[in-house]
Amino acid sequence: MKKTTFRIVISILIINITVISLFFVSKGYCETEEIDSEFGETPVIDGFIDLSSQEWNKATKVPIDLGGLPISLWVMQDDSNLYITVQFELEIDAHEHTEFFGLIISNSSSIEQEEFLDAKIIQFSNKSTNDFDYLDYNINNSVFLNDTDYNGNGAATIEGKDSTYEFSIPIKDGVGDEEDVLLDFGNSYAFNITYGDMPIYPSGIKKSTIILINIKSYTASEIPLGNITPLILCIVVFSILGILYGYYIYKIFRLKDNIERIKR
Amino acid sequence: MKELKDKMSKIPKHPEKEHKLKKKHRTDEEFAYRSVLISAILGGIFYIISIFLNIEIVTIFMNIDVVWTFLDILIKVIVILLFFLFMTTSIGNYKELVGKPLNWKDLLLLFLLSIGQAILNPFVFVFTLFGLAIILIYLFVIQEM
Repeated sequence: MKKTTFRIVISILIINITVISLFFVSKGYCETEEIDSEFGETPVIDGFIDLSSQEWNKATKVPIDLGGLPISLWVMQDDSNLYITVQFELEIDAHEHTEFFGLIISNSSSIEQEEFLDAKIIQFSNKSTNDFDYLDYNINNSVFLNDTDYNGNGAATIEGKDSTYEFSIPIKDGVGDEEDVLLDFGNSYAFNITYGDMPIYPSGIKKSTIILINIKSYTASEIPLGNITPLILCIVVFSILGILYGYYIYKIFRLKDNIERIKR
Repeated sequence: MKELKDKMSKIPKHPEKEHKLKKKHRTDEEFAYRSVLISAILGGIFYIISIFLNIEIVTIFMNIDVVWTFLDILIKVIVILLFFLFMTTSIGNYKELVGKPLNWKDLLLLFLLSIGQAILNPFVFVFTLFGLAIILIYLFVIQEM
């Protein structure tokens, strides 16, 4: 190989590696993660992620470091609820029989402790039989008080090493409730994501981290033209390719006939 | 000059050698045709796989773990690059059979249609772009050598 061409190939490889590294840096962890919720189809809250129906396909997916426990956090919304799912892996022996996962919700985007007034918790009573309860608390001076009316929904499964927790929290467009934080369209809220092993709150919490979730406004549910343009373009490209491919295959068979005719 | 022509016409021809040459030419032609067809079929297979993966009709990995995400991108990129490679081979051999060389317009069209498959995912797009650039440089270097 010539020296100059060798140099060109090496330079391209170096640029390639640099660009790849940049992508990984942008995916790295930071202290307070800010997540934009995306509109998607309503998922079934059953503790399972159905890959065939692609129910969480539109969700914003973010890796979070929960005090040394790496978790996958998916956030999505529709016209009435905010959906959050959490997945993580733990060694089978490391799973506690009474583990829980909770979302402690701030009244606003503030991360001050007194602003966290609402808690949605999925509490396992027996991990081997997958028995759990969805609990809704309001918080008064760090004391967790059971809500008279439970809002939202939650479900979870522990299968071997894998844990999946799914939450559905209502977004109430201007309708207030004293026991729950009013999530509203177009606003940001701080969420304290917690994991614990004892059904005592807050002392049972072992790991936690705070994230900020931006709930999109109701009008944003209409798909903007900019979002479907790449899909249309992609379909156009594949259609052109399909037509050209069909024509090319036809030409190949015509060529075979011509070769045979020349042979004769 | 006339004498030389007379002498040359008197040189005995080797019909066996000619026959062998013709046979070799035919075998080469058949080989090239087979290569055109097989490469086109393989290109078609990767085109269909690419439709499923790159329009996201089928999602292989829903996990957001960095390794799985990277694997997902890698599979999509490899499918597009293999499509490009097989179709370039097929069209190149086809052009050779019909007696025309593969020109830059054909390559550019194939390049655009390959990169067009990756519009939906910016990561796949960037990696495919680099992959295609490397393949094109490789083809250029091979040609030069």
